[in-house]
Amino acid sequence: MAFHIKKQKKILRKLLVTLTLFILGFLCLSLSDFIIKNYFPQTSSQEPLLPVVIMALLAILTLKPLDKFYLQLFDRYFFKKKVYAHIVLMNLADELEVVLDLQELANMVVNTFGEVLQLKTAALLVLPSDHDDLEVASAYGWHVSDYRRVRLSQTSPIMSFVRAHGAHVLVRNQVLQAFSWKEANQLVYDFDLMRSSWVIPLLVKSEIIGLLVFSAHRSERAFDESDFHFFREFGQRISKSVLNAVRVQKLKRLNNELQDAQSQMLQSTKLTAIEQLATGIAHEIHNPLTIISGKAQVLLLQRDKVPLDTRIEDVLKTIVKQTKRAADITRKLLMFSQSSGLSREALVLSQIIEDTLSLVSYQTSLDGIRIVKHIAEDVPAFHGNVHELREVFLNLILNAVQAIGTEGEIRITLQYSPQDKLVEVRVADTGKGIAPENLEKVFNPFFTTRHSALGLGLFVTKQIVHHYGGAIRVESQSNEGSLFILRLPMNEVSPEAVEVSNPEFFGASN
Amino acid sequence: MKRLMVVDDESEICDFLKLFFEDRGFQVTVAFSGLKALEVIDQVKPHVILLDIHMPGMDGLSALREIKKRLPDCKVIMVTALETRDKIEEAMRLGADNYITKPLSLEYLERDVREKVALLAKSGKIINESV
Repeated sequence: MAFHIKKQKKILRKLLVTLTLFILGFLCLSLSDFIIKNYFPQTSSQEPLLPVVIMALLAILTLKPLDKFYLQLFDRYFFKKKVYAHIVLMNLADELEVVLDLQELANMVVNTFGEVLQLKTAALLVLPSDHDDLEVASAYGWHVSDYRRVRLSQTSPIMSFVRAHGAHVLVRNQVLQAFSWKEANQLVYDFDLMRSSWVIPLLVKSEIIGLLVFSAHRSERAFDESDFHFFREFGQRISKSVLNAVRVQKLKRLNNELQDAQSQMLQSTKLTAIEQLATGIAHEIHNPLTIISGKAQVLLLQRDKVPLDTRIEDVLKTIVKQTKRAADITRKLLMFSQSSGLSREALVLSQIIEDTLSLVSYQTSLDGIRIVKHIAEDVPAFHGNVHELREVFLNLILNAVQAIGTEGEIRITLQYSPQDKLVEVRVADTGKGIAPENLEKVFNPFFTTRHSALGLGLFVTKQIVHHYGGAIRVESQSNEGSLFILRLPMNEVSPEAVEVSNPEFFGASN
Repeated sequence: MKRLMVVDDESEICDFLKLFFEDRGFQVTVAFSGLKALEVIDQVKPHVILLDIHMPGMDGLSALREIKKRLPDCKVIMVTALETRDKIEEAMRLGADNYITKPLSLEYLERDVREKVALLAKSGKIINESV
């Protein structure tokens, strides 16, 4: 509503200026005609340029003072406009008291301030919570790219000036006149940096918390004493709101940092706890397991000399096999806790997949599970640890085998995306799928739907994938099989790996 | 005669390893700690030592260091319950010739021990002594 009135007045002003210009133009034309007829009667017909030159001269001479006159006239005429601006800004100050988001607050301040006073630029600089330089919180009429570049040091001349003179509004020209050439030069730099001619300091208990800076379209755009009085009052009104918002921002940042630290600590304590648990269990359990398994093996290997009863042989084999299984539990736990910091080398992923498949080929052929592979040929060598990657593929494939049970198909796809520098491995099975409520849990430790399983396989897989900066997700529906999608970034590629991947790449332009 | 030494604080483990390897023609000496092992290695001069890492008193790594100093030709296979990676890496750095995790596969262990013996025989170390 208010803006409509303002626009109407603007149009009215323009209309009046144009009308006056028309009349003046007409006068000019008559005047030049008169001048030519009286002083240059002989050239009037041959020199068509002359009247134009004279008219241009007259126009330049009269337009500028005229415009200024109109501006002042209108400002005075629309004295109500000033009152209106003051009311709007004071209402804004009231509104700001409840705005706690610094960005929102800063946007409201500079936009309203800039619009209402029809400024060229306006910016709010605040003292952020994490360092000592003033930063632009929001700006009106600035280039977006300038926002981040502008920083005002606490020790800058303008800040020293504000500290010495308090809440007075700084007017560029007046301030500069009060200084020696050298000091003024430094101040000019600060004013230019902030693209401003006026500076309203924002102070709370004589502490500078920010600056509201602005400039007008016309350098001669004058504010009078009452304006400055108002600016000072406005500055005081919004200072507390700005301070509140800055503090809230600081609290938010600290809160985030705290949460990060907390989750990191949780992660590290979890790791060491599992590591300790694993090594502890290993020492207490692996020795008895070694004895049980060892003695059974001693008996079993007697068959080289004396043939054993097959039933006894079966029992002994079972003992050996089951002790190994028990030991694998702690081994997996430790593997998870140590999966970082292994030596890495350039690896051919398709080869690792083949190796892993050969491990389970006996099982799959027994269970009637077909394996379909789509291995892209352009996959470059991957920089990683062979044991970790085998563990990843083995867990995914075993998971698929177990999901299928008997009769089914596992599709393994290996692709490389050169744009994203990502390797993608998909393992799809035709198994029983994952219930929707379990989809998020499959990567959790000790989550399993099978009684005999430990529930660490996918957890370990996810941990390893994360160590490589990759991601793993699962898509599944009950009774429709599952699809595991694993993406690994090709980072930290060693020079050898580049050679393996594409030797002709560098010579392609020839 | 191929000489094997088993160093482990679990007597039962030493027992079956002794039984197993004696059965296969090795001369087996048993020590229940790193210190005990160091006391006798100069007389026994084993060709291959199966050395546990986690033992009370002197642990396997310190024993390994000392063994390699005194008997540089002796092959040492670390036998570990389950060790953190840095321990295994340290063992390899100190000159361990292999490491095997418990529970042991005796067939694998025998193969590995025979491999080490064959290496020594190849370089003439065993024949010279046994003559």
